[in-house]
Amino acid sequence: MKGLLLLIGSFLLMSCASLPVIRPPAGSLGKTFTCPSPFFTEKTRLIHAIEVRAAGKTQTVMIGVTITDPATRSISCALMSAEGMAFFEAAAGPDGLKVSRALPPFDSGDLARNMMADIDLIFLAPQEALAQQGVLAAGERVCRRHKKQGGWIDVSEGRDGRIQIRRYSEGGSLQRGVNLDGNAANAYASIELQAENYTLVMTLIESEAVKDEPRLSK
Amino acid sequence: MVNRFDSLKKTWPVLMVFLMLLPASVRADDFTQLRKNSVRIQTISADFVQKKFMKILSKPLISEGKFYYAAPSSIRWEYSKPIKSVVISGRGNTKRYIASGGKMIEDKTGGAQAMKIVLDEVAGWMSGKFTSNPSFTATLQEGSNTVITLTPVGKSMAGMIERIEITVSRKDASVKSVRIVESATAETRIDFQNVVINKEIQPSVFQDVQ
Repeated sequence: MKGLLLLIGSFLLMSCASLPVIRPPAGSLGKTFTCPSPFFTEKTRLIHAIEVRAAGKTQTVMIGVTITDPATRSISCALMSAEGMAFFEAAAGPDGLKVSRALPPFDSGDLARNMMADIDLIFLAPQEALAQQGVLAAGERVCRRHKKQGGWIDVSEGRDGRIQIRRYSEGGSLQRGVNLDGNAANAYASIELQAENYTLVMTLIESEAVKDEPRLSK
Repeated sequence: MVNRFDSLKKTWPVLMVFLMLLPASVRADDFTQLRKNSVRIQTISADFVQKKFMKILSKPLISEGKFYYAAPSSIRWEYSKPIKSVVISGRGNTKRYIASGGKMIEDKTGGAQAMKIVLDEVAGWMSGKFTSNPSFTATLQEGSNTVITLTPVGKSMAGMIERIEITVSRKDASVKSVRIVESATAETRIDFQNVVINKEIQPSVFQDVQ
């Protein structure tokens, strides 16, 4: 009986899932406007404190390092404990995904691929052509793009200047929500990533443009 | 793989503690003398600066903190930068705390339990049982400084830790630095400062998180 209820519930939930309605822009916005774009335009290294929350409680905190290069759409990332124990290192780009270090549970399933997809979503501008632009129900101006591999990405900016990135399935189910609460100097000073079962709250420790290839310095 | 990770999670803090215990004990040219000297330690306190080198970093990620030990088994291992975290162990209980929302909260991931197992072992080491840990073999090399190299035994840490080098001053027998080599492109170096041996430490240090 429980299974049946769950099935019916899931069906109803899926049936109800739909993309947020975008209304045509009006007033001072005009018919078209420049899409919100917090994304990097140069190769950048960021170090964040990452707070992992689940079931409404903080579970742990770790340190994350990312290098994103918009020119090549390549990503490098590393995760380590607060004490400096590295448990994940990977890179992704046109040549695919390469995981150089993945200690459990970071070696499971599609975790690396999903993590890279999340980093891509947060830091790199979507490549697809604009499908629609306008305003959401609360007045945020939004630009919507249709992903080549299916699904939708909305990038919106509220009246207070805060930017949100949303990834939806092809059918309109929300898969990821990103809230950027950074300042004008750095939109990525504070990032909140919401997934189905967890939330990551990332607080910037350090940011720098990358001029040279990273190397081991002693 | 789960066992390997657990092993590393357990080993990491133990290494920190083990390495800190060496200052007062590495006066001799061999581990027998080291074992004899180790029983003299009642308390240790020290500041540390940790530098993390990785290929992805252009410059090392620097962490700072303090370490406290009191016989027989009380330990406080505290990072103040860049993320505040505290491990407190004693009386059969180990807890790890992390900063969240301006206050310290207990880590829920189970890492503290792994640490408990490890920190319990420290009590054995404090009794001079340095060779009872089967995870590492230790060699000692004399030069301008004394260098102790710990090499993992077996495959349990393959791909995680290649070796650990502890540099000890021959002049005053204090540990100058610790180098944990994880791979050809990743390592951690810890420099200890203001090491104080056998000076009274308030019990609250091992009880209060803040």
